[in-house]
Amino acid sequence: MRWTGRIRFLFLAPAVLWVLAFTVFPLGYSLYLAFFKVEQKVEIKRVQQPVLDDQGRPLLEDGQPKLRNVVLRETVTTTTFIGLDNFRRLLADPQVADAVRVTLVFLLLAVPAEIGLGFLLALLFNRRIMGRSVLRAAMILPIFATPLAVGYVFFTIFYEVGGPLAWTGIPWLSNPTWALVSVALVDIWQWTPFCFLVILAALQAVPDDLYEAARIDGASNWDLLTKVLVPLLTPTFVIVLLIRLAEALKLFDIPFAMTGGGPGTATQPYSMLAFRTGLRFFDLGYASAMAYGLLAVVMVVITLFFRRMRESYG
Amino acid sequence: MAEPAARRGASLADGLASLAAVLVAFVFLFPIYWAFSQSLRNPLDTFTVAGFGIPWVNFTPTLANWIDQVGTPETLRSLANSTIVASGAAALALLLGTPAAYAVARFRFARWKNRDITIWFLSQRVLPPVATVVPFYLVMRALGLLDTHLALILVNATFVLPFVVVILRQTFLDLPLELEEAALVDGASHWGAFWRIALPLAAPTLAATGLIVFAFTWNEFLFAVALSSRNAITVPVHIAGAVDTRGVQFWFMGVRAMTAIVPPVLIALLAQRYIVRGLTLGAVKG
Repeated sequence: MRWTGRIRFLFLAPAVLWVLAFTVFPLGYSLYLAFFKVEQKVEIKRVQQPVLDDQGRPLLEDGQPKLRNVVLRETVTTTTFIGLDNFRRLLADPQVADAVRVTLVFLLLAVPAEIGLGFLLALLFNRRIMGRSVLRAAMILPIFATPLAVGYVFFTIFYEVGGPLAWTGIPWLSNPTWALVSVALVDIWQWTPFCFLVILAALQAVPDDLYEAARIDGASNWDLLTKVLVPLLTPTFVIVLLIRLAEALKLFDIPFAMTGGGPGTATQPYSMLAFRTGLRFFDLGYASAMAYGLLAVVMVVITLFFRRMRESYG
Repeated sequence: MAEPAARRGASLADGLASLAAVLVAFVFLFPIYWAFSQSLRNPLDTFTVAGFGIPWVNFTPTLANWIDQVGTPETLRSLANSTIVASGAAALALLLGTPAAYAVARFRFARWKNRDITIWFLSQRVLPPVATVVPFYLVMRALGLLDTHLALILVNATFVLPFVVVILRQTFLDLPLELEEAALVDGASHWGAFWRIALPLAAPTLAATGLIVFAFTWNEFLFAVALSSRNAITVPVHIAGAVDTRGVQFWFMGVRAMTAIVPPVLIALLAQRYIVRGLTLGAVKG
């Protein structure tokens, strides 16, 4: 039973207006910019200004205001409509192709490993374990560790001369392939605990009767795992997969700190390229088109997620 | 007689599982521990320490790095900035999100269905920040808000709003409806029922949610580095800036990383109960 008083709109209005102003409007503005070439130039102008005294009055010289030459720097932004050119450029840009490849390889390395490891750890923690709540709490910590700081900490861990992993002889950060693996490893460290927590919650919701029934039917442990637990947990795996995909597409902080996107552009994900294009090179129109390319992919992922979850928000 | 033997077997397996779980927890804590160990070393000990870098065992610890780093005006200012921005964003998101969560939990919206309204709020959570960073930058520049706390508070409140809505919506749904209905029968308004009955009952969750979104804002980097340059820089931006100018000084990095990581991690321990629900957008209650 739910109420229908008119006041319901007042409860909802502030948040709705907020989202319109701070999410819908910027997204619209971004789409608008994607059709323009935005150029920022610093123009230097020489002008004459009156010289002021302490009280802010112009100083006089021979009855005339005293003048001095001043150099003014002004940032001038010009926007030119160029239709779909930014999007055409996006499809042909080798830098974009490279960043897409980095992002895809990263996703393929990190996300399946996070879910697989998370599942294994959840199976482990689903047993009678001494001090389970303390150990489970310890596993939460990586999720909340500041990603940028984590990136620098792992820079020191992967340091190839005298770092704690130096004995492996692996060129963790200096080799382009290994550097991307290292970025994936850090993401796996940070996000396996999330997959673990969610899958453990689902495992603990499995009623004990089900294990009993399987035992009585003579099922082996392997049968129990593959024929009972995996099918039962599939919806949970899908939810975790979609959330991790959407989040992993945002990858930015860890490579920013650990590799700076390098060596070369070997670990520069799509988000980093778009950020640099917009806020380092101020190619704002093109950066907006890039953002929309990413947005299109993310939209597919969230649509799948919410289609699955629709009923639970009723 | 088979029964006790089987039980003994089970307890041995559980013992091994406990051991494995402890090892796993160690692996996941190691990087945080390593940062701490680095922070206690002399610069000379940085690359020469053997083993697990255990203080007193592998090297003589020193507090010199902490004393050098924590007291600097830049560090103190970035800590203050992060605290102001994260508190402001958390307060603003709770202020906006709590009534909205109550609205979708308790009222019926016919034209836009309740669930579509909820999904609309939640969907922003997965939007990539780079999709809005350029327009935000331009708007803040036009308003003269670059490098201010306000700009970062406005942006972060927007990002964490979905968490507030998803966690509190479920909390209000779980409250017994009878109390609010009784108040309505006694002549209270809907606002009165919300303010005097539902809100106090939800207070513990409200506090936990506030802490979680504080931690998210504390950790945010992309917008912080895009919108601040000097006065409003937060802890992560300060760390990145120090590396830019002086390189990664491992011994100081340990201190800086700890000052960034410790507050959100402590919060995570305090607010554990709500983390799974929040991070899965309510898909898993945890």
